[in-house]
Amino acid sequence: MRNSFFIILIIALLICSLGVLSIYSSTYQKEGKIWQTIFQRQILWIILGLVLFSIISNISYRRFWDWTYFLYGAAFFFLLLVFILGTTRLGAQRWLRIGWFNFQPSELSKIVMVIFLARYFSRKAVDDIELLSGKFGMIRGLLLPFFFTALPVALIIEQPDLGSGIIILILFITLLYLTNVRLKYIFIFLLVMSLPLPFMWSLLRDYQKDRLLVFLNPNIDPLGAGYTVIQSKIAIGSGWLWGKGWLSGTQSQLHFLPESHTDFIFATFSEEWGFLGGVTLLFLYYLLIRQGFLIAQRTQDSFGKLLAYGISLMLAIEVSINVAMNLGLAPVVGIPLPLMSYGGSSIFVTFIALGILVNIDKTRAVF
Amino acid sequence: MIRPRIVIWAITVMLFFLLLGLLNLEVIHGKRYQELGDKNCIRLVSQNGSRGRILDREGRVIADSQLSYDLMILPQDPGQQEKIILSAAQILKVSVRELQKALKKEYISSSVPVTIARNISVKEAIALTELKVDLPAIIVQPDPLRHYPGGRLAAHVLGYVSEIDRWRLTRLEDYGYKTKDIVGFGGVEERYDYYLRQEEGGVSFEVDHRGKIIRTLGFKPPVNGKDIQLTLSIKIQKIAEDYLAGRKGSVVIMDPYTGEILAMASSAAFDPAAFAEKNSDALVKLFNDPNSLLINRAISSAYPAGSIFKVIVAAAALDNKKINPNTTFLCQGSTFVGRGEFKCWSTHGLQNLQAALTHSCNVFFYKTGLLAGAQSLHDYALKFGLSKTTSFELPYENPGFIPSPLWRKINKFKNWFDGDTANLSIGQGEVLVTPLQITRMIAVIANGGYLVTPYIVKAIDGRDISVYQQRSEKLNFKQGTLDYIREGLRGVVNDPTGTGNVLSGLTVIIAGKTGTAQAPPGQPHAWFCGFLPYKNPKFAICVFLEHGGPGYVACVTAKQIIQEMINQGLI
Repeated sequence: MRNSFFIILIIALLICSLGVLSIYSSTYQKEGKIWQTIFQRQILWIILGLVLFSIISNISYRRFWDWTYFLYGAAFFFLLLVFILGTTRLGAQRWLRIGWFNFQPSELSKIVMVIFLARYFSRKAVDDIELLSGKFGMIRGLLLPFFFTALPVALIIEQPDLGSGIIILILFITLLYLTNVRLKYIFIFLLVMSLPLPFMWSLLRDYQKDRLLVFLNPNIDPLGAGYTVIQSKIAIGSGWLWGKGWLSGTQSQLHFLPESHTDFIFATFSEEWGFLGGVTLLFLYYLLIRQGFLIAQRTQDSFGKLLAYGISLMLAIEVSINVAMNLGLAPVVGIPLPLMSYGGSSIFVTFIALGILVNIDKTRAVF
Repeated sequence: MIRPRIVIWAITVMLFFLLLGLLNLEVIHGKRYQELGDKNCIRLVSQNGSRGRILDREGRVIADSQLSYDLMILPQDPGQQEKIILSAAQILKVSVRELQKALKKEYISSSVPVTIARNISVKEAIALTELKVDLPAIIVQPDPLRHYPGGRLAAHVLGYVSEIDRWRLTRLEDYGYKTKDIVGFGGVEERYDYYLRQEEGGVSFEVDHRGKIIRTLGFKPPVNGKDIQLTLSIKIQKIAEDYLAGRKGSVVIMDPYTGEILAMASSAAFDPAAFAEKNSDALVKLFNDPNSLLINRAISSAYPAGSIFKVIVAAAALDNKKINPNTTFLCQGSTFVGRGEFKCWSTHGLQNLQAALTHSCNVFFYKTGLLAGAQSLHDYALKFGLSKTTSFELPYENPGFIPSPLWRKINKFKNWFDGDTANLSIGQGEVLVTPLQITRMIAVIANGGYLVTPYIVKAIDGRDISVYQQRSEKLNFKQGTLDYIREGLRGVVNDPTGTGNVLSGLTVIIAGKTGTAQAPPGQPHAWFCGFLPYKNPKFAICVFLEHGGPGYVACVTAKQIIQEMINQGLI
């Protein structure tokens, strides 16, 4: 079954090339050598990502079952390192500098948490063929996995990277729902989580509060936090049906739209390619996510099944939140658009995830 | 299984929902956004708060902000642009080409106003505002500008403000600094920029094709920076700067018990207003001045210590019981250390510690230093806070340097000889100290053995922070060590044969030490450090004149400063 390998590869490459085009378009007018080479770097990340993709797709995903604790430990270690280095440098820092590459551990921990939770919920008793998760009580079904999720999430939110933290939490809840854990527990969990939300407000950083307030009314801070949302909406809106054409988007190329090559690349893209381009891009993402779900449905092995669901959900949630943020339908939380946004960590992790997905489908055929 | 299907449906619905959102924004409301975008109907006008003031210890203003007016134009209509430039050139009496050049240089995009002339007078501002009826693209923007009522007063303590540079921007980006922000450079302005800086506010509004405002979209009020109160006293600072009279050098006056800096003068000084007004001719001159005007000589450059270092030699030898107050050495004008002849500046005869301090006898200290040993001298110098920064608040502090045998062995692969010890004993050779370090050293003698941390900021935004600022460390000396030295330092000024006797005619009793540090080529550096009054000292003072001549010159300057302080009733 090499079928899904090529389908996923082709869709991913299509999205990536649209991404490179948009990055080029949003940066080529900016001054400075760094800006001029940024799209070349993105191409490099994509090539390296493809290498990772082909390697991972040839490693049996069952190996990840064995490596789960090691991966979890490594991700936790990197997050801790960021936390310690971040506090000594007094600033907000999400990345570790490894040579010339700024590595973002919060990206990595997303996929690691998916593997961890998939393994946790697909354990079987030795003499039983049924999943243990159906028999889980409150503690093993809810509290224990939540504890293991909350540890890295706390470090990620502390960084501060609210977006990645929220994604992992949503992933946790949906994966919980996908297992045999009783619905009652999930409702209790949601209820308990939503109770302290009003108190969480005071824990947020000032700029995070700004962004939430600005989401409700962008015009309270037109030059600061609200600016991005207003400009993003104008950029997308002014694209109209056909778009302004590649390299002629005025909003994103002039200095109007900040982060036009990372988190707000969807706005850049939509301005130049219009509604039709936006629909095409969303459709490509839909196809990619659908492939993931199809693989999950085809798989019989419970670990593989849950893993495939988790990975597809991860992509789906990232795409949804990012696009909603660009459209002004969600608060600005700083999530990259997978495969489109500039950034090595995001590209690598997405390709690794896709590699695992392909391998699940391949290994399934062997069984 | 029903649950996976629900999840897949939920995701599909979500993507569909986003599609609807896109449709809504791009197709249904597309026209409106296209108008907003294409015709650049949104205008942003930023309004700056004013930077926090810097006050002296009694609340008198050293630096504040004054309103100045900037001429800006909205560049969306090229026809109007030319008319504005023509009439503005007439009113401002500058050439059309200059304004056009500024327009080109500052242009960002067609919806952001461009500043074409800065710092225009009120009259010109009013005249330009009247043009607005015909030419709505004119904006006259009030912009607070740094203003220094005292001119160059305390320029080095304050630092200056200017546009942020690339190095600072990369470091400070995470704290919300942007390109073209005005930030502090050097001194309090740099160190406390975070508190002093104002927050930018502004208005965004929608305009029609003529540039008339249709409606305001949003407003964010600007926030002023916080005021900072210094421990500095303008009066003392002014006296110190007046009597330095432009000679290269520095004067530091400090409270010996708390470490409050009462005056920190560094000369030659620059005019910080030149930076605020972006007066480019003055700035070029300033940066090219051979006297390095921007260096704060009180903390940022280190000099050989000369004879004032003898205070430390005395403390080291007394404390280690190498000598006692009655130990005498015979000064015959020179002495031999190894095969080298080391000279004294005069022939003093039989000298004990007190007499040797009073007369600054080199021979006595060569011998005392050799008895104490080089390592011990080095250790005591460090104990008095030399060879490391004083943890003073202002940036760019020089740690100075004190050599030691071990250092030389490791770094220079050379041996340490007795001759080097003798040189060290009179503060020559590789010894480098800053005037602030010397002030702190003499404060230890004055306050009975406490190494204070000097500080200059007393309160931020009206909140007194001196409790957090006052840090001192108790140094352990043997009983009597400091008393003997203090006695000797009193002799320097009050004994008729003392090297600083010129200071004796005043109504307060002063104790101190002079220094003449050889610094070829050129004149030696002149030092005087001391404290007053002798009993219950209130001030520690250090006067330093770079290539100023013998220590006597520094004494004269110190006398003039103290005399003037007495005249003004400050002591």
